[in-house]
Amino acid sequence: MPVWLREHSWRQTLSAVYLSLPLRGARATPANIFCSEQYLKVSIPPFLFEAILYAPIDDTNSTAKIGNGNIFFTLYKKEPAMWDSLTLANADKEKLQDLRENAVLKAHEKAKEETEAKKITKQENKKYALEATMKLEEAERKRIEDLKEKERQKVTKELELWKNQQKDGDKYKSMQKKGALHEEIEPLKQRKNEKINKTQIPNEGTSKTRLKSTKGCDGSCSIFSQNLKEELLPAPRAAATIKVNFTPRVFPTALRESRVPEEEEWLHKQAEARRIINSDLSELEDLKEEEKNPDWLKDKGNKMFAMGDYLGAVNAYNLAVKLNSKLPVLYLNRAACHLKLRNLHKAIEDSSKALELLTPPVPDNENARVKAHVRRGTAFCQLELYTEGLQDYEAALKIDPRNKNIEKDAEKIRHLIQGTVQSS
Amino acid sequence: MSAALGPERPQVVAHAQQALSYTVFDCKWVPRSARLLCLGSAARGTGVVQLYELHGARLELLREIEKPKPIKCGTFGATSLQQRYLATGDFDGNLNIWNLEAPEIPVYSVKGHKEIINSIDGVGGLGIGEGAPEIVTGSRDGTVKVWDPRQNDTPVANMEPVQGESKRDCWTVAFGNAYNQEERVVCAGYDNGDIKLFDLKTMSLRWETNIKNGVCSVEFDRKDINMNKLVATSLEGKFHVFDMRTQHPTKGFASVSEKAQKSTIWQVRHLPQNRDIFMTSGGSGSLHLWKYEYPAQRSKKDSEGSEMGVAGSLSLLQNVTLSTQPISSLDWSPDKKGLCVCGAFDQTVRVLIVTKLNKI
Repeated sequence: MPVWLREHSWRQTLSAVYLSLPLRGARATPANIFCSEQYLKVSIPPFLFEAILYAPIDDTNSTAKIGNGNIFFTLYKKEPAMWDSLTLANADKEKLQDLRENAVLKAHEKAKEETEAKKITKQENKKYALEATMKLEEAERKRIEDLKEKERQKVTKELELWKNQQKDGDKYKSMQKKGALHEEIEPLKQRKNEKINKTQIPNEGTSKTRLKSTKGCDGSCSIFSQNLKEELLPAPRAAATIKVNFTPRVFPTALRESRVPEEEEWLHKQAEARRIINSDLSELEDLKEEEKNPDWLKDKGNKMFAMGDYLGAVNAYNLAVKLNSKLPVLYLNRAACHLKLRNLHKAIEDSSKALELLTPPVPDNENARVKAHVRRGTAFCQLELYTEGLQDYEAALKIDPRNKNIEKDAEKIRHLIQGTVQSS
Repeated sequence: MSAALGPERPQVVAHAQQALSYTVFDCKWVPRSARLLCLGSAARGTGVVQLYELHGARLELLREIEKPKPIKCGTFGATSLQQRYLATGDFDGNLNIWNLEAPEIPVYSVKGHKEIINSIDGVGGLGIGEGAPEIVTGSRDGTVKVWDPRQNDTPVANMEPVQGESKRDCWTVAFGNAYNQEERVVCAGYDNGDIKLFDLKTMSLRWETNIKNGVCSVEFDRKDINMNKLVATSLEGKFHVFDMRTQHPTKGFASVSEKAQKSTIWQVRHLPQNRDIFMTSGGSGSLHLWKYEYPAQRSKKDSEGSEMGVAGSLSLLQNVTLSTQPISSLDWSPDKKGLCVCGAFDQTVRVLIVTKLNKI
């Protein structure tokens, strides 16, 4: 139950009401005060003060001053009239409730309106700032454009001048030529005919001096000196062919530096494929179709291994490898054969090759890798290279720690090593 | 590689442009005029030659000529200034020389190659240099042939692969070293990165090298002088500048190379008025303007005492992106410094002006 604050005092003028509310020690902040048109509430838990005002007030302009242990309200009346009392006397609970709710609603609306207004002003400010910057940038751009325009116009004028000069020059020249033609055509024609007879021999030295003499005339002789010059040109060259070799290039497309690595790779792969096909063609022409399939050969090899025909199995695997050298399983199986045949070095080679091909190490090829390591390890041990063998066994164990056979063998090898160390 | 400073940098100003209704493969200024030619291939598989005149900031179409086969390249290099005949190479391997006033019948025609003529160059005309007018064509059939317009049907020089050798496409050709009546060289670039220099006076291979990327364009800085510099551009954004004054017996010519753009560099063109400035056009639609600076000493002696060239350095003066498609052709105007035309695969031809070239 809240503690009602009832010791308020008030006085009024025609337009305003002054209300003083002692707070009994509580601290008030603006958040504790709620005021609407006809409803005033101060709530500082556990204290509560509530008043339904006699007449509506202008709550936007009214003020509240907090200090000295009390709140001093200055409420401006909406209608200047003297109030009989601060609050409405006959206020029943329902009316109170309604009024309270209305008051709260109204306050909410006001708050909303205020935020809206704030947003709008913010937007307008932004727009204004944007427009100002745009204007500045426009001005800058215009300045640059103007400079460019000026330059352009200057240059255009020069061009027009030049063009007109050309036109005038041409006209003048053509007129001159016409005039010259009429005046000097006869005697020059005579001279020209003489010279034509003499210039059939393309003799460089004499032709040059003759050219000089005609150049002695002024511009009006230009056409004629030109014609003479034409006849004094060297004869067409003796036809000949130059044979050309090009820097070799396999591709018909143009050479681009950035494509060279790709092209190299492609060529390399092509060469590989061709090598395989070539080896096929030379030795295996008499084989049946199925015998050219590495998978079929692998199966054949496996069967022969199971039956104990290790040499046959090795042959089958050899053929398969020739056809497709990139299948690790072939090398693995061949290693097993070699082990049985006690070709230990070959076994090691094959297991190593299988391991190479089994990169990257993924769960899928775990089994294969285990087998490869075990076989290589066995080969090493049989060659009495126990440390290398142990390394392989431990690698195998790392891949498959749960295999008891490998563990047992690894132990055996360790004992062997320790035994030899002790004895030596 | 440093760029020229601030406000004194040459600017590339887009002066005029024209949208075309065909793919333009080559654009050339008509010498001694403000007219330019566009050569290309229309969608229906025929060749197009359009003649435009520059009027203020626009291009006005003067003539349009249609030919049966698409045209890949053209040059004015081998005609006199009066005649101004255009030599073109087309997709079928035909070399034709046209009089643009009467373009129905070619002045000279030969089926020079079995496949498309990728590149053409002419020397001996336009009042530049001395010697016979000659045209060189490089084709996809791997041969480079030199033609004299006065001799019908057979080339005066034929650079073809050895019997039995598989051919490589020749992508570009250029004349050079034509400083007197006898001397000529032809430089050819192939798609496997080979650059070969043929001497026409001795009819032999003078030098060859491989730049590891297909060679898109070669050009000497001047055709009519003792060969000075050769720029070769290639795929993958690289180009090489060779110093051609000193040839070492084994190492060949010294070079400096630059990787400018991530894309193919389609063309290189030297400024006719300044042989140390050139522009490269790229597959990303950009143009780069470069300046070559000579080293303090252009040649030095190596350990055995033979002369070896020293390459200089390059600086980027300006670059600009005009299009999203490759700029496949570029030509400087020989009459107005800084005026150039470029044609791109977005079916647009643009006239540009490069300013402040006098201050370099």
